[in-house]
Amino acid sequence: MSNQSGNIYGLTILSPIKDDPHGEISHSLAIRMYLQTLPVDGKGPFGKVSSTHMARLVVLDDVVYFGMPSCEEHLKSKYLIFESNFDGELEPYLKQLAAEAGDEVHNIWQHCIGYPGVQNVDAFVAYMKRCQVETTFYFADVNDKTVQQTLKALQTQSAVASFIENNQGKPPDQLQAAFVEFLRRLSIAPRPKPGSTKGKELADELL
Amino acid sequence: MSKLDVTDIQGVAVRGYNFPFARFLFLKFSDKQKGRECIGQLVKHVTTAERWDQGKPKTTVNVAFTYPGLVALGLPEPSLLSFPVEFVQGMKARGAILSDTGKNSPHHWDPVWHGEVHAWLGVFAQLQPDLDRRCLELLTLLQESGAAAMTGSQDAAALQIDGKITTKEHFGYTDGFGNPEFLGLEKDAQPGQGKLAADGKWMPLATGELLLEYADEAGELPVAPLPHLLANNGTFMVYRKLHQNVATFRKYLKEKGELYPGGVEKLASKFIGRWRDGTPVELSPDKPNPTIVQDKDRNVNFTFGNDLDGARCPVGAHVRRTNPRDAFGFNGKLINRRRISRRGMPYGPYTPEDQPGRDDEEHGIIFMALNASLFRQFEFVQQQWIEYGNDARQGNDKDMLIGNHGGCGKVMIQGTADHDNPPFLCGALPNFVELRGGDYFFMPSITALRMIAANSVDPR
Amino acid sequence: MSNIHGKAYAMNTVSPMKPWKTYILRLGFFVWRHYKPIGNGLVQLSFIHFARWVVVPRYAFPRLSEQQPKDDLQYDYLFFFSNFNGTWNQYIDAFSAVLFSGLNLIWRWSEKFPGSVPVTPFKNFIVRGQVETDYYYTAYPHATTNDIKAAHRVEAALDNFARQTEGMPPAKFAEAYSQFLVKVQGDLGETGEAPVGT
Repeated sequence: MSNQSGNIYGLTILSPIKDDPHGEISHSLAIRMYLQTLPVDGKGPFGKVSSTHMARLVVLDDVVYFGMPSCEEHLKSKYLIFESNFDGELEPYLKQLAAEAGDEVHNIWQHCIGYPGVQNVDAFVAYMKRCQVETTFYFADVNDKTVQQTLKALQTQSAVASFIENNQGKPPDQLQAAFVEFLRRLSIAPRPKPGSTKGKELADELL
Repeated sequence: MSKLDVTDIQGVAVRGYNFPFARFLFLKFSDKQKGRECIGQLVKHVTTAERWDQGKPKTTVNVAFTYPGLVALGLPEPSLLSFPVEFVQGMKARGAILSDTGKNSPHHWDPVWHGEVHAWLGVFAQLQPDLDRRCLELLTLLQESGAAAMTGSQDAAALQIDGKITTKEHFGYTDGFGNPEFLGLEKDAQPGQGKLAADGKWMPLATGELLLEYADEAGELPVAPLPHLLANNGTFMVYRKLHQNVATFRKYLKEKGELYPGGVEKLASKFIGRWRDGTPVELSPDKPNPTIVQDKDRNVNFTFGNDLDGARCPVGAHVRRTNPRDAFGFNGKLINRRRISRRGMPYGPYTPEDQPGRDDEEHGIIFMALNASLFRQFEFVQQQWIEYGNDARQGNDKDMLIGNHGGCGKVMIQGTADHDNPPFLCGALPNFVELRGGDYFFMPSITALRMIAANSVDPR
Repeated sequence: MSNIHGKAYAMNTVSPMKPWKTYILRLGFFVWRHYKPIGNGLVQLSFIHFARWVVVPRYAFPRLSEQQPKDDLQYDYLFFFSNFNGTWNQYIDAFSAVLFSGLNLIWRWSEKFPGSVPVTPFKNFIVRGQVETDYYYTAYPHATTNDIKAAHRVEAALDNFARQTEGMPPAKFAEAYSQFLVKVQGDLGETGEAPVGT
């Protein structure tokens, strides 16, 4: 199944964008302008759908002409490309997108042809699947760890480096005592949130 | 390939002269025509890359220009605009890329760099009196031109210890190893200087990694200004005055060395990747070895392929960070377009090893490096390998010696389960080195210098 | 718009292909998927989080209503989406230097592809076909794929070490700790900001 690599799903969606010559601004421009206002950290739509490793939105105005002797041709519609790399399966992901980022999803996809709204989740999922294109070849460097596992590992890495630095040269009994305490605090530490840049700070608070 | 025309290339571009005294004069031109005439007079003094078969000259002279300098000399605009972007912008404007921020930011630079510098005039000498005499001669020439003023100067000299000239720098390390070897340049090449061939032997790098208008390691010509005659046999130079915080370094080394089971000297060797006498740690991780240091076939001849975990030469050691050799796999192919030729010299008086030293004295290294592409070579190494560590799998950890640490950051010295060579973490890194100024310069060939002087650069 | 979020760069390219060449490309990917050695270079370069190639045949651009105009295209289109670490130039330089044969196998079927060596015409081809990303999100902006892999190794080593040393006397603990240090010593780089894009 070429949309998948290990436990990671590579979703590619091409949603045709409405073309309204009478609108004040075009739908594609409206999408772009709305996207400018969205936060890019955990408060953004994909941060809320926490199984998302990486995701992007690209307004495709047209295909590209590379010059003679190839032929010049054009798409008759613009497309909104949604590329996402997430843990788990497609349907649960799309449902989560509708449920947890419903407002943002609506504000973006309302500009697309055939979009049925997010209220009827099944209709939304069916619509997105109609726009899905098959990934021909998918590469994921790390394909067996979830977002949460990754964030926890990064926090642990930072905490371990700090522990090593702070306890260098200590005699064995002190070292061991410090280690036991370190493990305890690591196990109850709040996990960094997706999209957050606070990994190191959280680790430092730990110690 | 055909032999290079060594009468056309400026000498310092292709080799270090190894003279113990130097002065760098910074010039500003105030009139285009007279400035060009001045260059016309200067070019007669410029030292080329010809071999000194009849004995060494007492002094050498070389010249290079910043972008404002070329503008001030009246180079035609289409030519000016064809120079690579990073040279046009100049080093000060590239501070974000180079991490020349905080203590390295331009506020802290020497006064000469607060204004425009148009040209660098580099004079090297075997003896101090000869240096003074030659500089006086050149200054007279400049004055007589009526259009070239000296806005600043910088003396540099090999450190003298107990009356003997050495190749040491202020932190006590022996410097001057590891310059690359290029195709076509007749030079005493050493194994380890060039690139690795598939069979593990060393080969010279493509000439176009140093000189413009020659094929580079990617099999194309580096970006170069027009017309071809202006660029041919020229190169780009980066000049950086690196102040050294001798007291901070010695204190840090002493404190950490007391905790490090291998001892101070071994720790010092781990920071750089060479013992203080120059022995490569990769070849001799347990003690210095003068035999290797003196053996030209061995002192730069090593690879990291059998030491990928850094147990001998730490992954963060300075020589490994700046020239990873085969450490990134692919037989070193990712490194070949990132090499630079260094011509640096210390400045300021030597502080004997038994003293704590000072941070506020005028002493450090004048770092000068030559390459065909500032962006692809010097700037890349500075940004990606010195101030950042991802390629070396060291995250954001910077180069221990010259990184702009700001008091934080760390380097992990890898080791083994052996008690004398344990893993050891050095944190809270201070700035051992601070940037005090510099810029990017274009070093033209003799032909190009004459063309500039004659105002006959025609970019069409 | 931004192509960059933290240490990751979102590159999108599109290139036209004559439909009969698409079959060959699909075959090439099939081979790649089933014969791992071709992918080894990519893994060793270790600067891509996720990358995908998507062939959109000329009749397959989604058409969701009768009102939407029908496309009449001659070419199939090859889309490439990459989430990589490093600067744009660094990325392309590295590919051109060490993975040129793999790249050629994928893109030689696209119109006007100049080959992946030498690098400058290749870069021009990519610039021509690159589409800007309008919104980019990553869950771990301060970490490259190297950082992540290192983090997983450290965590695994820590878990192992913790289990192994539970209840050990201090002297033995210290001994095991030394070995633990050797295990994680190469994987402790800090995470943080990316260098400025160039």
